[in-house]
Amino acid sequence: MGEAAPPAGMTGIVQSDIDLDVVRSILQRFQPRDHQEAQELILGALQEVNEHFGYVSLEAAEVVAEHLGTTATRVYALLTFYADFRTEPRGKHFMLLCHGMSCFVGGSQRLVQELKDRWGIEDGETTADGELTVQVVNGCLGVCDRAPYCVLDGHSVGELTVESLNETLQRVIAAGGSWKDGHHG
Amino acid sequence: MESRLNSRADFEAFRARARERWNDLWEGDRMVASVGLDSSATPKGADKVLSACKAVAYDTGMIVREVSGNGATWMEPWVEVKRPGQPPIVYGPIDPDEVPALLAGRLESRAIGVRGDTAFGTIPPLSEIPFFKPQQRIVLQNAGIIDPGSIEDAIGRGAYDAYFKVLFEMSQEEAIAEVTTANVRGRGGAGFPAGIKWESGRKAKVTPKFVVCNSHEGEPNVYKDRRILESDPHRVLEGILIACISVGAERGYNYIGGEHPVAIARFRKAVADAERLGLIGRNVLGSGKDVFFRVRTGGGAYICGEGSALMYSIMGVRGMPRTKPPRSVEEGIWRRPTVANNTETMANIPSIILNGGAWYASIGTEKSKGTKLMTVQGPMQTPGLVEVPMGTTLRTLMEECWGGMKPGFTFKGIQTGGVSAGPLKEEHFDLPVDFDSLTEYGGMLGSGGFVVFDSTICAVDFARYLTAFNRVESCSKCVPCHRGNPALVEIVDRIRLGRGSMEDLALIERTSKHVIELSLCGLGQVAPMPLLGMMKQFPEEFRAHILDGVCPAGACPIDRRPARAAAAD
Repeated sequence: MGEAAPPAGMTGIVQSDIDLDVVRSILQRFQPRDHQEAQELILGALQEVNEHFGYVSLEAAEVVAEHLGTTATRVYALLTFYADFRTEPRGKHFMLLCHGMSCFVGGSQRLVQELKDRWGIEDGETTADGELTVQVVNGCLGVCDRAPYCVLDGHSVGELTVESLNETLQRVIAAGGSWKDGHHG
Repeated sequence: MESRLNSRADFEAFRARARERWNDLWEGDRMVASVGLDSSATPKGADKVLSACKAVAYDTGMIVREVSGNGATWMEPWVEVKRPGQPPIVYGPIDPDEVPALLAGRLESRAIGVRGDTAFGTIPPLSEIPFFKPQQRIVLQNAGIIDPGSIEDAIGRGAYDAYFKVLFEMSQEEAIAEVTTANVRGRGGAGFPAGIKWESGRKAKVTPKFVVCNSHEGEPNVYKDRRILESDPHRVLEGILIACISVGAERGYNYIGGEHPVAIARFRKAVADAERLGLIGRNVLGSGKDVFFRVRTGGGAYICGEGSALMYSIMGVRGMPRTKPPRSVEEGIWRRPTVANNTETMANIPSIILNGGAWYASIGTEKSKGTKLMTVQGPMQTPGLVEVPMGTTLRTLMEECWGGMKPGFTFKGIQTGGVSAGPLKEEHFDLPVDFDSLTEYGGMLGSGGFVVFDSTICAVDFARYLTAFNRVESCSKCVPCHRGNPALVEIVDRIRLGRGSMEDLALIERTSKHVIELSLCGLGQVAPMPLLGMMKQFPEEFRAHILDGVCPAGACPIDRRPARAAAAD
């Protein structure tokens, strides 16, 4: 018998490449003085882990839960509620595509459609070759007068059209590197 | 590095030094270049402009300052240059490679205005140019002027004076009385008077009590709160600390949306600096009063802007609203009395304490006092963040502040109230903008975010976008919102595809009524408003999709010949 394929619907659980010692060192900055404060720190700790690795694996979630005296179930409830978190790794390149009202008025719907038609990805998905992950921001990135706007590997790209989106993505992918080279914010 | 201030005298001495330092900066004989950096200017290259200024300063000994944006996004990146014997003059937009020419005085054509009261030669004061002229800046009085990372700058310009007054010269009742007299209504959108909330908080018997500032700002069309935090974080912090002292809360919180990293970083630094100076902690300035502070950040869930959801998020669970009563002022964070106000409300407090509630109440309209921050998005000539007296007309905002439509764009409508109200048209331009006047026409002031859309935008398609936003952001706790919003999107999609019927319009009305009347929280209760508003203002477009199978703006993916056209064959 060959190896069984993973059951359908289980693709969210992947072999994690997250070094749990790094997670533990991140958690050193979160030292609650009591159980109430520990609960207040869960979201912030997860944000740091998510920012550093691009996602939070099940194993990392367990380490966070243990450090702050709660359960992995509680942590997963947060990871699956708040849109900023991912539970699967990002592709090599990572794009936050603003879909705020200004971007919508400027044509961001066409960009979302192009990502679907040409790149085969929708919000939160990664291309089959693992090169690109897109996260469509339902809120607003706040750079409205450069709409439609995105942040690609930590760099701002504004006044997007379907053509400039494709061109930018092709250029960034051809140049190699990854989202880890850019800084966020 | 300054050490902790332990007494009134320590603070007064520090303040005197900070004021002297501030005055010396502007009266000295050294050239000063200030570059505005924030989450709007930096993506346009303001950081590179700053580096270019520093490169010039390396040779010339010029002082280079990093300040925040001033709200006028159209002039970014901008540089303010103060030459000896001249007032500070603002230039923009400036490319990084133009900086040497600018600083050498060879780019005078790019001058926009003088920061000050009088013109310099042919350059007018900023306050006389159309973007600034209708404005009255209270909350934004330091925006683009101080370095938001410098507590010395802030104190040199009057920060913590009001806090000092509340700590040493006023009783809790007196402080709250000023806020009540000011009649400052909640700037988050609901418009509830802050003074009444504070008084309930002060009277609450259960301890400890908390104060929380709502800086979540998750709406897709507003960017005022993040700009307040980016430009003058100490003003917000001071407002929260005053609230803590006034209601007897032992701890203040600020909950900031995770999408605003610049605001988070600047506000965190402000808190750390205030803690270092002893403005937060035990026995503040020897007053015998303790006050502590925590910053918490959101994770991209719109619903967390709702008061009870925000508090659940702070407590480390899913941010889902609960039924009220009890109100949060009775049972909030950790089931203790919690006074919650929006960032802009908090930022008004220091000026109200310093100048008195009566002064504040003299600004604005009968029922909406003070100023209001307004933001605009869309194809305007001079877009940006403005602060105008309540009651300023839409026309003044649209035609003066924001300079009218960009060439080549035809005005169609202006969406108001974020995702919680409907659009207005040109016939509504003379309405005063305040908490109450727009409601009758299906609009809303809300948090002050406007979106101008032009003739290439289809009302049906835009309504679908706004409804789909609420569908995605529904927390799914209550059925009317969780099921109602997807149903509304489904119906609008039918119309967009040209497959709708006139009965669908009635179905939208019925479904909306369910969502509005039966949803648990304030966000669900207004979720259908944008769609209903679009139907009210642009009924002919909905009919054109249904009856003629045509999208007049050419935006919708019509895929079927309509019934009427087929019948005519």
